[in-house]
Amino acid sequence: MNPDVLWRYLPSLAIGFGVTVLCWSVGGALGMALGFAIALLRRLRLPPLRWALRAYIEVFRGTPFLVQLFLLYAAGPSIGLRLSATAAGVLGLGLYSSAYFAEIFRAGFGGVPVGQIEAAKSVGMSKFATLTRVELPAALIAAVPSIVNMLIVLSKETVVLSIITVPELMYQMQTMAAETFTAFDAIFAMAVFYWILVEAVSRLGARVEARVTAYLATQGERA
Amino acid sequence: MTSPMIEIVGVGKSFGAHEVLRGVDLSVARSEVVCIIGPSGSGKSTLLRCVNFLESYDVGDVRIEGRLMGYEHAPDGSRRPMSARNLREMRREIGMVFQHFNLWPHMTAIGNVAEPLRRVRGLPVKEAVERASAMLARVGLSAKAHAYPSHLSGGQQQRVAIARALAMQPRLMLFDEPTSALDPELVGEVLEVMRSLAAEGMTMLIVTHEMGFAAHVADRIAFIDDGRIVDEGPPRHVFHHSKEPRVRQFLQTYHDRNSF
Repeated sequence: MNPDVLWRYLPSLAIGFGVTVLCWSVGGALGMALGFAIALLRRLRLPPLRWALRAYIEVFRGTPFLVQLFLLYAAGPSIGLRLSATAAGVLGLGLYSSAYFAEIFRAGFGGVPVGQIEAAKSVGMSKFATLTRVELPAALIAAVPSIVNMLIVLSKETVVLSIITVPELMYQMQTMAAETFTAFDAIFAMAVFYWILVEAVSRLGARVEARVTAYLATQGERA
Repeated sequence: MTSPMIEIVGVGKSFGAHEVLRGVDLSVARSEVVCIIGPSGSGKSTLLRCVNFLESYDVGDVRIEGRLMGYEHAPDGSRRPMSARNLREMRREIGMVFQHFNLWPHMTAIGNVAEPLRRVRGLPVKEAVERASAMLARVGLSAKAHAYPSHLSGGQQQRVAIARALAMQPRLMLFDEPTSALDPELVGEVLEVMRSLAAEGMTMLIVTHEMGFAAHVADRIAFIDDGRIVDEGPPRHVFHHSKEPRVRQFLQTYHDRNSF
């Protein structure tokens, strides 16, 4: 370990960390929003749309993120999609994770007990009211642990963005290692930063989960 | 001439190759309490669920105060499923209580009762909450208004479910084995609420295994087996004077199991 080197590179590592957090949070939010929209659209009884969305999910889940990102950044311009490295990285994370989020939300909807929906039907609630008042809350609450899990996975997928020169943490670490021949120190510093991020996400996730499922606790557990 | 509250004529229903209902006729007059009894898998619940069209039927008619349930006639005389809007309009006049309560777990007791008033009857929050708390008082649960379903006993949950259905001021109530999922000690509180409803003149169609309740509260009993109504009449007739071997055998089994 060389404290002097670490100290000298701390600012650039911190900037890299900031870029990582930015890409992860914006990309994750985008993926969640897209995934949610896909899960909703898949409920419509429109076979062509269903097949298309199914194909979308298969493609983005079935190919490596690295390949997707590279295609987006390198082949994008040939179809008129000219993006900065960071924009391509964020969009790539969003598209990639949307396939997983779509499946998470689908499972959430599928887990809503049919009796709760029948109760809504029996009082004459509309499809829309049943969706927004009964199915959505139940589905979203059930999906929280999987969402947190996916966000943690995604936070570590951000390292791939370094390949297309997004100046995130991995990229800064590689620069530091190359300039100073201190591979171990650099990797160690990077690991600490990721650990801080993942720890923060999982703690926040646990709090959200406890909060939204509070109503499920029995009286004994609550007291 | 007034139509019966519920009129079921020649209703048949199959799940694939399995014929669950084979030409059922049953009618329920206003303020009448009719209990449907019979062995498991006989089609009791399916019949009840056809009344508010949670289950579609293949042939025959189900009429609620004269209006055909679930279908409407096309100009060419054939019939087609009724519009979602008309179906909702009919369903909101029919209260239903389920075996497994089916409360919405993310809403409090009062939230469960007020929700349909808000979304279906379109009441403002204040009125919905007022009516909901009156209904909870009616089933003896004012103290639990702000508890979530998971904090309530089965009997309390079922009473909330009854309050939810009643708050809509339905013209009739359907009960699908309302006490079958309850611990024996909790059955009484639910039956008590149902008994008082019957005394107030609510029209009720009840699928139940509670023979004592059926004998005391029902105006008529229908015994159903293998998708057909085998015998029907006042409790005294069905429970004591039925000539149908299937009915006698069923009741005998019931007596044997419940005497010790």
